[in-house]
Parts: sequence; structure tokens; C-alpha cells
Amino acid sequence: MDGSSPAPGPRVEWLGELRYGEALELQQAAVADRLAGRCPDRLLLLEHPAVVTLGRSTRPENLRETPDALRRRGVDVFEVGRGGDVTYHAPGQLVGYPILDLDALDRRDVHDHLRRLEAGLIDALEGFGLPARRVPGWTGVFVDRARSASPDGPERKIASIGVGIRRWVTFHGFALNVSLDLAGFDAIVPCGLHGVEMTSVAREREREGARPLPREELDRALREAVARSLGSRLAPDSTPEA
Amino acid sequence: MSITVELPSLGESVFEGTVSRWLVSEGEMVEVDQPIVEVTTDKVDAEIPAPSAGVIEQILVSEGDVVEVGAVLARIDPDAKPAPSPSAAEPASVPAAPAAVPAAPPVARPEAGPERGVAATPVARRVAEEAEIDLREVEGTGSAGRVTKDDVLRHQTGGAAPSQPAATASEATAAAPAPRPPSPAPQATRAPARPAPSFGYELQPGDRVIKMSPMRRIIADHMVYSKRTSPHVGTVAEVDLSRVVALRSQHKKSFQEKYGTSLTFLPFVVHAVVRALRDFPALNASVVEDAIIEKQDIHIGVATETEKGLVVPVVRNADRLSLSGTAMAIDELSTRARNRKLTADDLKGGTFTVSNPGRQGNLYGFAIINQPQVGILRMGEISKRPVVRTLEGEDAIVIRTMMYLALSYDHRAVDGAPANGFLYRIRELLEAGEFEL
Repeated sequence: MDGSSPAPGPRVEWLGELRYGEALELQQAAVADRLAGRCPDRLLLLEHPAVVTLGRSTRPENLRETPDALRRRGVDVFEVGRGGDVTYHAPGQLVGYPILDLDALDRRDVHDHLRRLEAGLIDALEGFGLPARRVPGWTGVFVDRARSASPDGPERKIASIGVGIRRWVTFHGFALNVSLDLAGFDAIVPCGLHGVEMTSVAREREREGARPLPREELDRALREAVARSLGSRLAPDSTPEA
Repeated sequence: MSITVELPSLGESVFEGTVSRWLVSEGEMVEVDQPIVEVTTDKVDAEIPAPSAGVIEQILVSEGDVVEVGAVLARIDPDAKPAPSPSAAEPASVPAAPAAVPAAPPVARPEAGPERGVAATPVARRVAEEAEIDLREVEGTGSAGRVTKDDVLRHQTGGAAPSQPAATASEATAAAPAPRPPSPAPQATRAPARPAPSFGYELQPGDRVIKMSPMRRIIADHMVYSKRTSPHVGTVAEVDLSRVVALRSQHKKSFQEKYGTSLTFLPFVVHAVVRALRDFPALNASVVEDAIIEKQDIHIGVATETEKGLVVPVVRNADRLSLSGTAMAIDELSTRARNRKLTADDLKGGTFTVSNPGRQGNLYGFAIINQPQVGILRMGEISKRPVVRTLEGEDAIVIRTMMYLALSYDHRAVDGAPANGFLYRIRELLEAGEFEL
């Protein structure tokens, strides 16, 4: 490390709506590029059309509708070669895929990466007046019910996280529920976590009695907040001034 | 010379991972840095790259296995030539394709050739081998028609393949590159199936197979060894802790302020044990061949439950420590045990062990001796109980804070009289409550 100039965080790119399969191909290419040193660290932000993704360890009981029934409703079903359980994506959910070289960042620690993703999302939500926290033992971001307007009931999950690592280059990432229709989650047991309720920024703002915002405005605001807070969390660790 | 592929460190708090998928099979040619296996930890899937080009000589862990950092996953022969197969050259040049496009055509099932040519997971292979099932007869429902363990079990019980929720047009062919070259390894050179005594238990569908971690294996072997070596005798004393409770309440706050750690019952017990060992050196001993060695030094092992299993860090020269010194030493060791920062030296050289397995559902119980020691004391739960006391010449039922202490001792070296005397001495010391704080 030379420490002479402040190194920037990942290059943030807003890709708009992208089908899950295309996004996956794009990630594979991005990982290959990063490994070959052809691009800097990147933070890909996007949305997926409605899709249910199944991991290799998805248990049938975590899918409440048949894939055919889902497709008839216009929800794509996609089997991913990753571990983990079932997830749901749809417009109104901010998806982020950081393509980072943890080796180059001198942060060869997968848990550290997970915690940074969580911290970046928590910062963004807190900046929006929504109390958020981690729940020990679970990956993801949850509403801090104790500080919220509705402290009772089950844990409310607002963002899911799942990461892939190839030779210390990260892919996959997070999905933050912003304004999507939460009924879409009814088809699945998210991440196989029974007894967890899915929530969104819009839903929690409603609970908090915040001023309603048009959907597009809310989506854009969250995108910008996440780009900012996560960008700084994922940036190279600053070296103390000499 | 073969090169080993080990599970690399994936982070400071990552100690193990679950093998989620092999991307290559034995006999397959790989390039350097080609991902060969996926390992999952929490919500992270890490692809482990080949450290060298060569042929996968042996796969040593199965999908679903939990492996520790540093464990050997596979061996690569860097000098071997790929298997003489028409398709062998192709996978060598194509890194294992990760989850591919949804539009990929269905992958043809490999030709039904010799059994090794049937695509099957390593676990399925092992289960089939143990059950003497011909893999060619099993219908594969895994990705690309791979035979999974469930398929073998189902075949064994005569069940039909379930309709897959996800086997549809968009099945993502998450499969590794197919077709795979058949393994060149002839049956004879394969690692023999581990002869674990199963006592005739047959795997049932829905059973979860949890392979022992190396640590679990060591604990298991030690327990069996100890039970076989030492004839254990158990004896129990009932101890009135009222004075210790009073002392503890009196000093709890100042102790916390002075030493930054809370004062528990454990150091009182350890301190009493140390003093009793001074009076009964027969319990501070080892059996070496046909001699009994009584030791001068007293090093007390404190059995501690951690996430990863049981560890017994040792408080060294415990007889030179005050009560607060003992408390500090125990606190420091248990903190390091929980944070997995214990060194090998922390675990060596104990001369007697105290076990405190937690408060609830534990009236008393007998621990297994930590070899080569000859005794172990196990604390029961601490609770208020009605007991009979003579107060001012009258028998009365009073409520006291009580605990059972269970001593296991090695009858090769220790007879009943000194063992009972030792236990009674511990009781006397705790009931007298004369501890300097």
C-alpha cells in the first residue's frame, strides 16, 4: 500500500431492471474481469423482474407453490448453483452485487464482508429514520423492533444477504426490500426461516407514520443512500496519515 | 508426488465449512486456479481453486461434510495425464461452468457404462458401495441426472423418485461440466470404505448424517480410552453452600469493580479442591505402568463447554493462587476457550479436573476421568433445598443453598477411604466458608 492518495470505493453502477439469468452471466463476467485486473471493484445495483430462486439446499417445504403455478402468475423460477435456500426478487427491491477483490483490499475474511454489507444497509436505513439491526446467528438486516413504532410480533426482515467468493473476488450480495409488494413472499419461506416476517422500507415507513413518498422517489432515494453508505463501508480501509 | 488441496482460511471467525458441491470428479484434469469445490459457511459460498494443474487423484471429503480450516479436501497429481477419453481434453480447458444460463439445453445423462461412469455424488457412491447397490440401476434426480444419496436410499427402500419441484424447463443446469470423463482409477486403488462399526444400523430416508469433526473424534477416542483404562468409581457428597453464598454476595460488587470479572462459585470449588489435594495426594496422581506417581505440582483442569465441544484448559500451580487469583485464571482461560484462542500449552499437564456442566437439569452426574489423571470432580446444580439442622438443640427444617459434588476416581490407584476422605474434606472447606477475599 502506498497510502499517498485516498483510494476510492467501488465503482457504483445502476443497471436498472435485469433478468436474473442475465444478471448472473454479467456477474460471472465481472468476476472474471476483476480477477484479470481488467476493472476496479464494482458495486452493481439493479432490480430483477419477479423471480423465485432455488438454492441447491432448498427444501421443498420452503416453496409453498409449485414452479408451474408460479410461472402461470408471471413469476420466473430459477435454480441457482449456489447453496442456501429460496429467495424472492421483484421490482421495488434493491439488489446489490458487489464485485470486490478482497485479496487486493487485504480483507481476506468472508464474515467481515458479510458484516460490512449489513452495516452499510443499516446505515442507509437509519439515515432514513428506520431503526435496523442484525440478529445474531442470522445473516441479513432486520428492523430493530424495540426502537420501532410496532415493537411486538415476529422478527421483521428487511434485507437478505448471500455471498459467493471465487479466489477472493465476491459476487452475489444483498436484496433490500424497498417498495415491492410483500405478498410475493407468500409463495416461499424466505431463506428457510420460519417465523420471520418480511417487511419493506415502505411498509415500515407506514408503521412509523412517515410521510408517504411516491414509489419511484422512494426507490431512488434508497438507491442513493445505499450507494453512499455501502460505498464507504466497502472502500479500502483508510490507512492512518503518516 | 501429489499436491494436497486444503480448506484455506476464509476469515478470522471462520473455523469450518460445509462441502456443498464438488465441481470436478476423481480422474478429471484441472487447471491451476480452476474452482474445484464449493464450501459454504453461513451465507457465503466459497469456491476453492486448484493450487496446481493436474489430475484429481483423490477426493477425500463428501458433499455435506463439515470440514475444518486446514483439512485436506483432495489430492492432485500434477504430473498425471488426463484419462484417455474422447471428452477428457474438453473439461481440462473449460473451467467448471458456474450456474449457467436458463436456456441451456438439457444435459444428456452420461452413457451407462461401467459403474464408475455413472454420474453420482461421492456420498451416493459410498452409500451404494456399502449397500452393494449397482449405481447403474439407480435413477438419478440430482443436477444433470446425477445420482444422489437420497436416490440410492430410495432405490434401496424401493421407493419411486419424487416429482421434483424444480425439474422444469428453466432448470438452470447448475451442473458442473458434463459429460465427465470416467475415472481412470481402477477399483483396487480406491480408498477402502471406512470400517466404522455401525452395529447393523441402516440409513433411513430422512436421517441426517453428521460426520465427526476432528475435535469430536479426539473427544470420542479419549472417552473410550479412559473408560477402558480406568475402573471408575463414583461417590457423591452434598454440600451446604450457605457460607459461600453469603461471602459471595458480600464481595460480589467489590470483586467486580476490583478485578473486572464476576465472582462465580467455580473458583471456590477449585480452591477447596486444591486444598483437599494437599491433604490427599493420592488423588493428585497418575498410573504409569506398575507405579503410581504422586505429583508435587497441582494443576487443575477446568472442563469448559465451547461451541466446538469440550475443552479442558489448565490452571497452573493452582495451589499458589489466592481465591481471587484462581477466579482470574479461570476467567481468562474460559474467555480464551470461547474465543478459541487457547494454545496447546493451555491444555497440557493437568493433574486433577473440575467439571461444571451448567446449572439446570443437573442434580449430579459422574464425569469420565481425564487421562492420565485419577480423579475428576463434577459440580451438580446449585439450588435451595429443605435440610434438617439442629438449631439451639432443636431439630428444624431449614432452607439452604445446596449442591451435590460427584467424584469419579480410578480404583486402580485410589481406594474408597482416601477418595471419600478427599471428598469430605472439600465439603468441609466449602461449608466452613473460610476463604480470603
